[in-house]
Amino acid sequence: MRGKSPDTPFLGRPDTIETRAVEHPFSFRGSKDAELNALIVEAVNRMGGVGEQAEDHYRSALDELGKRADDALEVIVAEYEALPEESYLDRWSLVQLLSELRLPAAAPALNRIITSRIPAEKARGSHDASTVTEEVIIRTTAVEGVVRLSEEGVEEARKILLRHARNRTFSIRRASVQGLLETGEDADRRELRALLKERGEERLLRIKRIDVRGVPQATGGRFVVPPDVKREPPRPERGREHG
Amino acid sequence: MATCTYTVPDKDASGDNFYGAVICEQAFVDYFWNTYGFSGNKTYWDDGWGWDDCCNTSKPLARAFNGCYALTYSAQDYLNDSYSSAILNWGRRYVRENIDDLRCFCGDGTAIARSKGSGLVEVYLGFFYKKDVPGRAETLIHESRHQGGKPHDANFPSGSTFGGGKSGADSSWDYEGAWMYGALYLWWYYAEGARTTSALRERARQRGNVVIDNAFATHPGFSI
Repeated sequence: MRGKSPDTPFLGRPDTIETRAVEHPFSFRGSKDAELNALIVEAVNRMGGVGEQAEDHYRSALDELGKRADDALEVIVAEYEALPEESYLDRWSLVQLLSELRLPAAAPALNRIITSRIPAEKARGSHDASTVTEEVIIRTTAVEGVVRLSEEGVEEARKILLRHARNRTFSIRRASVQGLLETGEDADRRELRALLKERGEERLLRIKRIDVRGVPQATGGRFVVPPDVKREPPRPERGREHG
Repeated sequence: MATCTYTVPDKDASGDNFYGAVICEQAFVDYFWNTYGFSGNKTYWDDGWGWDDCCNTSKPLARAFNGCYALTYSAQDYLNDSYSSAILNWGRRYVRENIDDLRCFCGDGTAIARSKGSGLVEVYLGFFYKKDVPGRAETLIHESRHQGGKPHDANFPSGSTFGGGKSGADSSWDYEGAWMYGALYLWWYYAEGARTTSALRERARQRGNVVIDNAFATHPGFSI
């Protein structure tokens, strides 16, 4: 480690920031059902849990919401449509919720999300920030929601996946093709292969979902700065567990 | 000097309110501050960025610490950071050994973070408020790879979500560049991430797949 200066005060001024906290990102303008709204907020909130119990708490929140899943569907879709375009994480969380609830009635809404126009890139000068990428992640998560419905035998879901095997966005096509190959019936797979052959897109059939242990791993020791002093971190359970 | 403002939801899927309660222990604060490049940079993390309020997850410093917690503890056997293990284990070591100075700025909205050389990494508003907690760990690994000697070496492929034809892609998975490190970290997080939820692991999968599909000049031929 190279020599580090102490925290020397600046002669100039660094950037400053002001933050304002709000309880949650949703408006619930169309839903006066406070109990249902609270269940949705709780399920979204629990998505980000941490600790050994995080998944259990998330599942409990989903179970509670699942008891009112039919009512929740309309509210979740309305909130998705009401959120500002740039609220990518919040929009994603509602799509993830639709996917988790596995409601056949959600298929048309998921299809609308996948089909919706992707707005033009807002971070044109960047290589790491991409609003188009955020939009595509929302849509491939919606595809995953449709795949889950297809897995449970929902015919409409299989039709949606076949339709999006010709989507103009590569990642949506790739996710739809993989999903239909894994969950569709033989007739769907035949139709899909014929479609891809016709479009000259058979390469999509060769992109396989595989286990991370099966891909070339990074050789982290290459190019590293030699370690000087290694300190062990505190145990993770020092802090309170939340989830 | 720039001044920026941000409105932060307390309850959302980013994970910050939960992580925030965990990292608010002096032992974690000391470890993260001294290990991941904050030390020596107090001036940057002051003036609203959280230096005097480091448990407040509305503020950037606590959100950066949350990313550091995910980076440090997302492997079940987190004490093993050997380079012969998975990147989920040694990602924290790689960041520790490659980032000497981590500084925060408002930025102009066109970048999440930038590697400036000589161990200096700058992080901007999007790092704190657009990325979820594991996504911040991914960003630190990505920038560390640049510090480790691997610039991007190709243009994004035609149709890429990052902008087909623009520079900033990696030529291939085997190049072992910053995109490969980030995607591989997300992949392991999806497969074996500990102390998290299936929802954040699924988000890691979706982001990792979009990176694999769009950030390599030659598609690796597999997905998560």
